Amino acid sequence: MTRLSRSPSSGHYQLVFDHVTKRYGDHSVVDELTFTVEPGRVTGFLGPNGSGKSTTMKILLDLASANHGTTTIGGHRYRDLPDPAGTVGVVLEPNAFHPGRSGRNHLRILAQAVGQPTDRVDETLAEVGLSPEAARRRVSTYSLGMKQRLSLAGALLADPPVLVLDEPANGLDPQGIRELRDLLRARAARGHTVLVSSHLLAEVQHLVDDIVVINQGRLMTTGPIAALTRKAAVVRTPRPQQLSEHLVAKGADVEPDESGALVVTGLDLEEIGDAAHTAGITLHELSVQADSLEDLFMSLTSATQSHQAAAHTHQVPARTHQAPTRTTKAPTRTSKESVLS
Amino acid sequence: MTITNLIRSELRKVATTTMPWSFLAVLVVLAVTNGVAVAVGTDMDGSKTFISTGTDQQSLMAFAANALMIAGLFGAIAAAREYANNTVIATYLNTPDRTRALGAQFAAIGAAGAILGLLGSALTVGAVAVSLPLTEYGFMASTGGVIQIVAASIWAGAIGAVLGAGIGTIVRNTGGAVAGAVLALVIAPPLIVQLASGAAPWIPASLAVVASGVADHTSVTAAVAALGAWAIVPAIAALLSVHRRDVV
Repeated sequence: MTRLSRSPSSGHYQLVFDHVTKRYGDHSVVDELTFTVEPGRVTGFLGPNGSGKSTTMKILLDLASANHGTTTIGGHRYRDLPDPAGTVGVVLEPNAFHPGRSGRNHLRILAQAVGQPTDRVDETLAEVGLSPEAARRRVSTYSLGMKQRLSLAGALLADPPVLVLDEPANGLDPQGIRELRDLLRARAARGHTVLVSSHLLAEVQHLVDDIVVINQGRLMTTGPIAALTRKAAVVRTPRPQQLSEHLVAKGADVEPDESGALVVTGLDLEEIGDAAHTAGITLHELSVQADSLEDLFMSLTSATQSHQAAAHTHQVPARTHQAPTRTTKAPTRTSKESVLS
Repeated sequence: MTITNLIRSELRKVATTTMPWSFLAVLVVLAVTNGVAVAVGTDMDGSKTFISTGTDQQSLMAFAANALMIAGLFGAIAAAREYANNTVIATYLNTPDRTRALGAQFAAIGAAGAILGLLGSALTVGAVAVSLPLTEYGFMASTGGVIQIVAASIWAGAIGAVLGAGIGTIVRNTGGAVAGAVLALVIAPPLIVQLASGAAPWIPASLAVVASGVADHTSVTAAVAALGAWAIVPAIAALLSVHRRDVV
């Protein structure tokens, strides 16, 4: 596979998962998982419960060992990073606190371990919206949302260029989710690498640039969310029959929808526009009809489950759909550059 | 990050929960019990011969065996709770070198155990010293004897805490860790002596009294070293365990 990991000294870190496999006994929790996470982008890591997301993250962070394959952060294993805690901020478990300890003391312990000044604790608490009064209270009195904010504060303590967050939006109120979204977008805009797992698909759709979908430990698909959820072009014209004939001649599939518009697959917007122009056909609309992320997710994960069920029923080896993996940063596409599938 | 930072961070972990205060309360109760025993307690014949000599008083004040047990429970709970509360995740994220992380943790827990040993012995000596004027006997233990009692208690506290932390790290469950510490320090030693009577001088309680200067089954140096061995074994087992097992 292509490796584009940049040197940590450049401040940009690509995360590489290369044929990672994790087994417990005969059961594969992660199975030959290969994908990359690019700096400067927010990547959503999606999968049903028990699909292996958390285990994959733990392997990346050297908390769990892989039976096979490697993971690297900017070309280094986590344990070999010169300053791991200063490089990667992590939220893994929603309740990784001593309940009898105050939020502030929790952060002071982390700060002391990584050599951050105490001032940074207060800055980070303010950054995640935990008041000084709340920070003085024991964690056992916190709501789930407050615990999430405290976890996030721990991840941001050293202002790391990489964030690995497992379900960070769990328990956050709408304002908290918006703040999280703004924060992660701002990080990515600074060239930071952000990997976020979540099952809140509607939220992820607004947050991430790229997605990685896994199911039963296997990669289902990966790539820019805009490309993966793009399905077809919607074309409105006063001469649908003539345009349809031209597009079909160019290899497109064309179906009229109930409103009279044409739903075109197999050609990108530019090709459709060119074809209409060449034929002298006026267009009133040329737009993309996109699937929701939920549709994509369900189609990918339910397909695997169906295959698995069939495999169990017929006692034959299961085959799962595996979309081609993208290992390099995809160019940003405009609507006219869309690839329709 | 330096090892000093790590140890200070681990010490802050220990200091920012109520657990040390709970154990301090136990030490106070034990000291008060000793003081009351000195003030009002008697031997079977109604006399107070158990405090009639300096050696008797030193034997009464010897706290090392208690320190070993109390600090053992402290270490077991402190280490196991790291796993129960998942705070160990942050520990290994900050310090992926698990030998280094565990070393810092054991150093901090050992230091806390030493402090428990110091406080336990100091409180006990203080309680006995306060109570003796209420009897017909004065404080007769030598300064050297008192220093040896306190020093042995500090060492035993540190050793007990590391032993307990080793068990807690292996078991990773608070209840199981406490049971393991009790097994290692209370239940197993007599069983070992039953199987091999020659082992009697080398069980923790025997070594603690020798280190305190109130028995001479072995030399003090040998007792101190052997006590250390009781901690080294579970500590090494814990180290192997954290290298072999996933953190969560």
